[in-house]
Amino acid sequence: MNTDDDVKQKDPSRAVVIAISHDAVFDLKEEQEPKAPAAASGVLNPGPGFPFVKAVQRVNEKLVEKNPNETLLFDVILLSSKDRPKSQSEVANSIKHYGLEITRLCFCNNENFTSVLRSNKVKLFLSTNTDYITKAQDTGVPAALLYGQRGTATLDQLRVLFIGDSLGFSEDTTDRPKDEDTGEDQLQSVQLTQSSLEDLVALIGEMRRKFGRENSPLCACLMTVCSPRNVCVRALKRLRAWGLEVDEAFCLAGAPQSRLLAHIQPHILYDHGLQYTLDVPALS
Amino acid sequence: MSLDSRQAVATHDGRADASVAANGDSKGSWGDTEDSYGHSGPVNKPKSGAVRRARKVEGGIFFPKPENAVTIAVSSRVLFRTETEQKVFEERGVEEYLKYQVEHENEPFAPGPAFPFVKALETVNSQLRELYPDSEELFDIVLVTYNHAHVGVRLINTINYHNLFIERFCMTGGSSPIGYLKAYHTNLYLSADAEKVREALAEGIAAATMFTPEKLIEVSDTQLRVAFDGDAVLFSDESERIFKTHGLDKFFEHEKEHENKLLDHGPLKGFLEALGKLQKKFYEKGHRLDCPIRTYLVTARSAASSGIRALKTLRAWGLETDEALFLAGAPKGPMLEKIRPHIYFDDQMFHVEGAAEMGTIAAHVPYGIAQKHPHKKDSSKSK
Repeated sequence: MNTDDDVKQKDPSRAVVIAISHDAVFDLKEEQEPKAPAAASGVLNPGPGFPFVKAVQRVNEKLVEKNPNETLLFDVILLSSKDRPKSQSEVANSIKHYGLEITRLCFCNNENFTSVLRSNKVKLFLSTNTDYITKAQDTGVPAALLYGQRGTATLDQLRVLFIGDSLGFSEDTTDRPKDEDTGEDQLQSVQLTQSSLEDLVALIGEMRRKFGRENSPLCACLMTVCSPRNVCVRALKRLRAWGLEVDEAFCLAGAPQSRLLAHIQPHILYDHGLQYTLDVPALS
Repeated sequence: MSLDSRQAVATHDGRADASVAANGDSKGSWGDTEDSYGHSGPVNKPKSGAVRRARKVEGGIFFPKPENAVTIAVSSRVLFRTETEQKVFEERGVEEYLKYQVEHENEPFAPGPAFPFVKALETVNSQLRELYPDSEELFDIVLVTYNHAHVGVRLINTINYHNLFIERFCMTGGSSPIGYLKAYHTNLYLSADAEKVREALAEGIAAATMFTPEKLIEVSDTQLRVAFDGDAVLFSDESERIFKTHGLDKFFEHEKEHENKLLDHGPLKGFLEALGKLQKKFYEKGHRLDCPIRTYLVTARSAASSGIRALKTLRAWGLETDEALFLAGAPKGPMLEKIRPHIYFDDQMFHVEGAAEMGTIAAHVPYGIAQKHPHKKDSSKSK
């Protein structure tokens, strides 16, 4: 693990650690023609997760502005593969070049990345790869999809979207959709991730409360995709009970998702089991 | 929202299997079912296709696709009465306002000016569902508000309290709702905020501003009645411009000269068209005389002269209104009081206010030349 000495390390007991794969933050395509000329030699182009990192940085800045001794901050770490030594130095260079506040670079491979997440006390894992997201969720680490429309995502405000269809079900599991593949293991993993999700939501809620309703650098949104309005309201109340008052709420009740998402422009989309975000383009 | 793409679907109306094919669902047996929320409707078949898992619509409630339905977006301030809360917002700011809303979360709001209209839309829907159980050509009412989601709980509690069938909503937390209107293929947007309405009109979405009247006369609960002014509402404001700049005589001259030239369309032409399509569905099932939708043209034009151009234009567009009232400049209030529409659209505040004084639910369409040259109250010219 590499730590960047220039970036101040966060208080491990309070920091909200977010892990993001380095190939989401930077554009690492070596196989094909680069889409755009590199920013400088040895520096990579921004990837879909780049706006997220910048927006998170702004939240931290604003938090510290309010309280210079603030310990409840976002702590972004990069997950990197050991297999490509060339890209490692490019990643390090690029981090410096763009002034990204990334405290650690963790090396892992496909098999052990979930244990790397746990050992780093990662509260949220972000990726554009739905398989990795599912893997992380199955081991109890909340994981969300990076929703990226390069070039149009805002850097001024971190926008987090929760898909609330499963949040809005009552405790009675007979309320849940009857699904052929919902087995015992699935339910267990849901419960496991649910409590870590609760922690994450509480922390985001605490951060959100430090800012007013308007001009906040952090914005939380809730969307239900195919449920009636009362499910959406229950999800709202559940998030509120966990400590987060969302700013924006959308109940689609079956209306097509993608146009609305394109307008909402979240940086990240949290959907447990990825059941409700089948049509979402992670990259565009 | 482009009307053309919707027209392509709507021409298949009346034939259930065609409309099913149009939205891509697999054909299957449809049956009515009562779900746990107390709503009944046909069971929606899951979409088949190359996705990992078919997405089921929860609870068996039938949600039409926005592009197939006639989508009406209403803001919270016109659907319900929120004057007290508005005052809190204006006097004490957004944080106090939100606190107040949350504190009063379990107190439902009273009905607002758009409420009777929405109820009437639901009446039409239930009849359409009876006649065409498979069809998605229904009214779809969406609550679009720039309120923060804090207020959401109170709004949904109110919807539940009044038993409204509104399943879709959009609480934008302070940002402009206009982009969301387009994402929902909105056919008509009703708001209390004239600025937002103007923005919507500029984007080609039919929109009107509603005001809370002091008294409200009773309207029908079996028939939806929608009344439209002609110039600058159904038609463009071109003739209005002539009248305002060159006076009445020039106006008459111009209209006579161009009697056979079609007027250009106005912002609410599309909505009249959408109503017409639904009316035809009732006619096809033998409900012409007792159609639950009735439309009215209420214009200051006069039947013998300038009105002819208006009628010819409507006919050329393939549109009609059930009744056309040519008032030749007489005040609209008494006529509207007889009609009792659920909503009346006019581009001139003078007429909107006049109608509201007599208890008619009137909505202002801030379009065209009348916005720059408001009508003087003491003049009453024949058109």
